[in-house]
Amino acid sequence: MRKRLGFFFWLAVVYLVVLAVAAVFADVLPIKDPAETFPGTSKQGPSLSHWFGNDGVGRDVFSRVIYGAQVSLVISTVGTLLALIIGGLLGMVSGYYSSRVDRWLTATLNASLVIPPLILFLALVLFLDGEAKRRIFILVFTFVLLSIAPIARVVRAATLSWAGQDFVLAARTLGARDGRVLFREILPNVAPSFVSYSLIIMAGLIVVEGSVAFLGLSVPPPTPTWGDMINKGRTNLDVAAHISLMPAIVMFVTVLALNFVGDKLQQYFEPRESVL
Amino acid sequence: MKQAVRDQLGRIIATALLAAIVWAWFWRPPFSWTFGVLVVIGTVGAGIADGRYALRRIAGVIPVLVGVSFVVFALMASLPGDPAINILGPAATADQIAIVRTELGLDEPFFNRYGNWLGGVLTGDLGTSIVLREDVADGISRSMTPTLQIMAYSVVLALGFAIPLGIWAGYRQGTKTDGTINNVMLGFLATPNFVLAVMLVLFFAIGGLSVAGNEIGFRALPAARYVPLGEDVVLHFKHMLLPSLALAMGQAAVFMRLLRSDMIATLRLPFIDLARSKGLPTRRILWRHALRPSSFTLLTVVGLTVGLLIGGALIIEFIFTIPGVGAYIFLGVTQRDFIAVQGGVLVISTLYIVVLTMSDFLYLALDPRLRGREVGARA
Repeated sequence: MRKRLGFFFWLAVVYLVVLAVAAVFADVLPIKDPAETFPGTSKQGPSLSHWFGNDGVGRDVFSRVIYGAQVSLVISTVGTLLALIIGGLLGMVSGYYSSRVDRWLTATLNASLVIPPLILFLALVLFLDGEAKRRIFILVFTFVLLSIAPIARVVRAATLSWAGQDFVLAARTLGARDGRVLFREILPNVAPSFVSYSLIIMAGLIVVEGSVAFLGLSVPPPTPTWGDMINKGRTNLDVAAHISLMPAIVMFVTVLALNFVGDKLQQYFEPRESVL
Repeated sequence: MKQAVRDQLGRIIATALLAAIVWAWFWRPPFSWTFGVLVVIGTVGAGIADGRYALRRIAGVIPVLVGVSFVVFALMASLPGDPAINILGPAATADQIAIVRTELGLDEPFFNRYGNWLGGVLTGDLGTSIVLREDVADGISRSMTPTLQIMAYSVVLALGFAIPLGIWAGYRQGTKTDGTINNVMLGFLATPNFVLAVMLVLFFAIGGLSVAGNEIGFRALPAARYVPLGEDVVLHFKHMLLPSLALAMGQAAVFMRLLRSDMIATLRLPFIDLARSKGLPTRRILWRHALRPSSFTLLTVVGLTVGLLIGGALIIEFIFTIPGVGAYIFLGVTQRDFIAVQGGVLVISTLYIVVLTMSDFLYLALDPRLRGREVGARA
């Protein structure tokens, strides 16, 4: 029987692609300026001219959500990619070379999990000035730091199971060097599991970025971020809930879609019951 | 049988030892007193045959703790800008700065400062907060209570949701029930806890959305503020329900998914068939026979998620204005009070390590098959 990914998988993929495209081309798309205040529209609910309504000072929530996606997506994508490269390499090395290297790497990675993510981030925020550029840099840096260990773990486990297979032994018998065995024999087999896992990591990073922005410590104000919009909307929650609700829904759907796609891909590549 | 009892005792004592260390850290009884307790517990623990593993495990924890303390200290020490100027403000004179610098011991070399600080930490002295002008250890032990309460309530709530749902979904694997439970929980997994918190406040505290003049929601629960347990029990739980729930649902989803997949594996084992052929009722088979062997992974993960809970507690405390450790650290960060942040991060990391170690012991206590073997899961 052919394996199928299902309708909802493709729906989620389409949603993610549309969101990414909208965020990337936000400047050329015919949407309103996220900083422009429309007089007399403060706290107005969703309408035809303002799809997601207006916020407390009359700015268009829809375009702010789209521009907010830029920050979320850029930070989480870059963070995940870097973590994937570093964590993937560490995991493969740790799973392929036996005992001592493995033990040291595993111990170090586990030690890095000891400081809770958000707390670590807060400690790092003390480094920041108000500069937006530096803040993005620190965010990405922290996110990479946070995701290396989980990725390395997954990759290590996968590498361990492939490294014992006959074709790896065959390659080594033929005199292939370690580098070749790792990249030509093992990597193609390990790749599916960490690509699907990286989507779940990416969803996690979007949530962390949201939390940080919610606390007002992400990219500073003129740039819209989802977390910040949800937080600012709380003051008007009783009279104009949509100000918080709209970015919250978009964020929820994005995270859900990423998790769902990651999950499905994992099941697709690895039919056995996947844990976490 | 006797060996098993001794095993358990060794572990219990080792756990008590760890708990004593943490307690000494948070509540600061006189140092000599704590030390005495530690020596007594340690001797008794070592005297019991298989407490050796437990003690070895604790010995392994110590370098990690030292490492964490070093990282935290180095991080704070390398902050840009002079802390003395941060305290005094830009208008400070050179004399004032010099006085504050000596007061904080900033003129000494790095390793001396680290040594002094670590010595202080070991005796329960985390320094004096720059902004609050208050003893950091006092501040943290005061804020610890609400945080530990939220965390405990949310773990209980999460397990309360996850265990029945996980058992049921695993038993009904592949059916519509299973699918529905899975999808709903996936939804909770994808909801960031601060989003869930805002939604809970919206729908349960301030009346929800008004559609065409009708309110969809309740005004049943308070939206913020903290009431100590000792002050009013009912009010305390009323105030804690929404924050704990906001923190619990995401965890519940993780727990449920784990338990479900382990249940499925367990239910395929022969002893389940045996139980069934003896004519035991399904409920008894699920709860008494299948749950225990399926709960090991769950248990480890419960320990691991404490780290997430602490991070989550921070933002939940921020939303519900609860004066917990997260709020304490957050205040420290926004006011550049590095002594408070340093102390807070250290205490929380310690707590996390201790919880992880304890969950390992619990793992051993629950799964007899692992006893006598070196548990390499997260050594």
